[in-house]
Amino acid sequence: MAKIYLNPERCIGCRSCEVACEREHGHPRISVGTVSDLAAVPLYCHQCDAAPCAAVCCTGSLRQDGDMVKFNPDLCTLCGLCLVACPFGAIELDSMVQRCDMCGNGTPVCVTTCPAEALVLGDVDVVTRSTRARAAAVLAARLR
Amino acid sequence: MSARTPTVCPYCAVGCGFYITRSGIEYMQDHPVNEGSLCPKGNAALDVLNHVDRLRYPMMRIGDGWIRVSWEEALDRLAEEMKRALREMGPKSIAFLGSAKCTNEENYLFQKIARLVGTNSIDNSARRCHSPTIVALRRMLGTPAMTNPITDLALSDCILLIGSNLAENHPVVARWILRARDRGAAVIVADPRVTPTAWLADLHLQLNPGTDIALINGMINVILREGLENRSFIKERTGGFEELDVSDYTPDRVSSITGLSAGDIVRAARLYAKSSASTIVYCMGITQHTCGTDNVTACANLALICGQIGRPGAGILPLRGQNNVQGACDMGALADFYPGWRSVDDSREIDELRRLWNAGALPVGRGLTADMMPDADLRFLYVMGEDIVNSDPTVSRRRGKLKRCFMVVQEIFMTDTAKLADLVLPAAAWAEKEGTFTSTERRVQWVSRAGEPPGEARPDIWILAEVAARLGFDFPSEPEEVLAEINQAVPAYRGISRRNAGARGGIIWPCPHPDHPGTPVLHAERFSTPDGRARISPVHHTPLERTSPEHPLILLTGRVVLHYNSGSMTMRSEGLVKREPEMHVDVNPDDAARFGVADGDTVVVETGWGRARARARVTPRQKRGTLFMPFHFPETNLIASELLDRNAMMPELKIAACRIGRAD
Ligand code: SF4
Ligand code: SF4
Ligand code: SF4
Repeated sequence: MAKIYLNPERCIGCRSCEVACEREHGHPRISVGTVSDLAAVPLYCHQCDAAPCAAVCCTGSLRQDGDMVKFNPDLCTLCGLCLVACPFGAIELDSMVQRCDMCGNGTPVCVTTCPAEALVLGDVDVVTRSTRARAAAVLAARLR
Repeated sequence: MSARTPTVCPYCAVGCGFYITRSGIEYMQDHPVNEGSLCPKGNAALDVLNHVDRLRYPMMRIGDGWIRVSWEEALDRLAEEMKRALREMGPKSIAFLGSAKCTNEENYLFQKIARLVGTNSIDNSARRCHSPTIVALRRMLGTPAMTNPITDLALSDCILLIGSNLAENHPVVARWILRARDRGAAVIVADPRVTPTAWLADLHLQLNPGTDIALINGMINVILREGLENRSFIKERTGGFEELDVSDYTPDRVSSITGLSAGDIVRAARLYAKSSASTIVYCMGITQHTCGTDNVTACANLALICGQIGRPGAGILPLRGQNNVQGACDMGALADFYPGWRSVDDSREIDELRRLWNAGALPVGRGLTADMMPDADLRFLYVMGEDIVNSDPTVSRRRGKLKRCFMVVQEIFMTDTAKLADLVLPAAAWAEKEGTFTSTERRVQWVSRAGEPPGEARPDIWILAEVAARLGFDFPSEPEEVLAEINQAVPAYRGISRRNAGARGGIIWPCPHPDHPGTPVLHAERFSTPDGRARISPVHHTPLERTSPEHPLILLTGRVVLHYNSGSMTMRSEGLVKREPEMHVDVNPDDAARFGVADGDTVVVETGWGRARARARVTPRQKRGTLFMPFHFPETNLIASELLDRNAMMPELKIAACRIGRAD
């Protein structure tokens, strides 16, 4: 299944993804940090294949389901273990566990709204193939 | 009404499309410019529509307070006061400020009222963003507008961004620059600051503020010395090349002026001149200077001698600020131009309009620009959709003088300008009315009504037709009818209709007849000057001794991605305000140490014009010797410079000498 991948070189730090996600869910589940004022890095749930959040979730509220980590609010005790377990700090508590649900019926709103096409949705091999194609085009242009 | 209404973003001039649905925003994936994407402001656009602060009914000032009045009463009073001023003091005593946020049809009617009552004192905020572009590009190329569409950037092999922080101000443009980079294009960014736009650069030229002409002349010097100019283009398509003498601008000398290395200047020149298609993108970092017109001229000289214009991927792109600043100017909401870029000094061109409007005589000669209005002893001022107090430093400081005249403000919010008014008229916002907007790339798009205005607020076009009727003029009040008249008055809009402007992505002017597909690239075969040739005109760097022992630093101003101009709209969006809540000033760490300022301190920044408080952000991104303050907060306006570019009457908003210290 497709996941959201980030091309950090493209990100212009505009925070549109944040504002869009907040518009959709009432609380942003992606946040853009700036490193040394010189590079912006959006942090969000990567739907890990070995998800630490699901591993520490005692109630089964967070659970690996195929390529995605699914969340069932009915089982959640708000213990907060997942918040600390996520290596990206991508889970927050705002009356309920706030984490990415791959919204948008196909293409998540953060991906569509990103002006810079820094966030892309795709299978990992498709994404890396297009990254390689771009790198090759740039190299070819430089050699011209 | 259908479930989703197509619309165009009300903020910047990129002209992004999206849908308004019952539950909010839906992205428009097949829009030619944004392809579904939106920047944070676009995502927050609906926040202004049903905001509690919206003006809901007409209000009249009684002493220090307001009373609610009927539209009848308000409009009668407006007409009565305007007529009184005309009768007692003549047309010189009244002035109008149009809006780069209102539709073409509204601006057209607004300026028509001004002209029919006998004054050219009508202006709009373009004065403070691209008036130098208007003067320089009209003279040199014939048409004062972007030569190529935004998407064309993807076809460029070299993009020179000078005085533009588009990653924050026009984020969707970055999409097309990144596409060019994917193909291996070189991106050069000339900006004293390290901005998110500079992150896109292969070569960042961190030049000293106010040295753009030196840099460009230096590039031209290198190009001529190395024979990289386009001889046949110069010969066949331009005039004035012989007068261009840049022999003084050797890389070494330019290096000492700009603070750049000679090698970088040579590299930039070669990249730009040798690429098969190069584009120059510029914005207010070029225009908002006392030498703004010369700055634009320098950029155009560079493009012309290299023949980098008039082809896909090769052109000059002045990025306009507001969603309809190009349109408001095309419609003649300017003190120096009638609709269709007819000069106020050319009575022959005006004659056509006189016939179209059935008018006796029309005023000739430049009227008052916004900056001149406070000192002009006006009796009546009509402001449509502009927070001039928070965007024009001169007006801001002399607002007391404006209070002496009868002032009408037509607005969606009670802005600081509206607070000065004698009469406040509640207007519909962009999505509550219909009409066309012209984006920065000359793209004319029809906007449909997605909802009703709050309370008794009315579309500006309705208000203007009512005002006109009370002055004895018979104006159409339907946007389509007004557009039909614009077809007659503005040659570039001759073939534009609701049909083609309402299609996805609208249509790019010039569109000379109804079946014409529009003209994305200008100047392909000839320039729109009278003889079809472009004018190369020499300009020179004048050293600017702005700093002094008393004011040792240079203050730079600009925007941040989350806010928009005076903030009357974005400051009412919770999602934007909480991310960028307060006035800040960026300080270089060395300067911070020198002046005893630490990160997070409350500081006072003082220029020769005033002082403002702000929160200090100490960051290596800021160039030594300079400070940066965003102009969305009223404080920045209070300390901005009042010096003017005399060619274009553009205030020098970009830079001012200043000092900084802790507030306590
Ligand atoms: S996919 Fe949706 S929920 Fe997840 S981060 Fe993006 S916008 Fe937020
Ligand atoms: S919307 Fe895209 S460019 Fe903007 S901050 Fe998010 S990832 Fe970066
Ligand atoms: S880039 Fe400009 S037009 Fe597009 S969404 Fe942002 S403010 Fe609106």
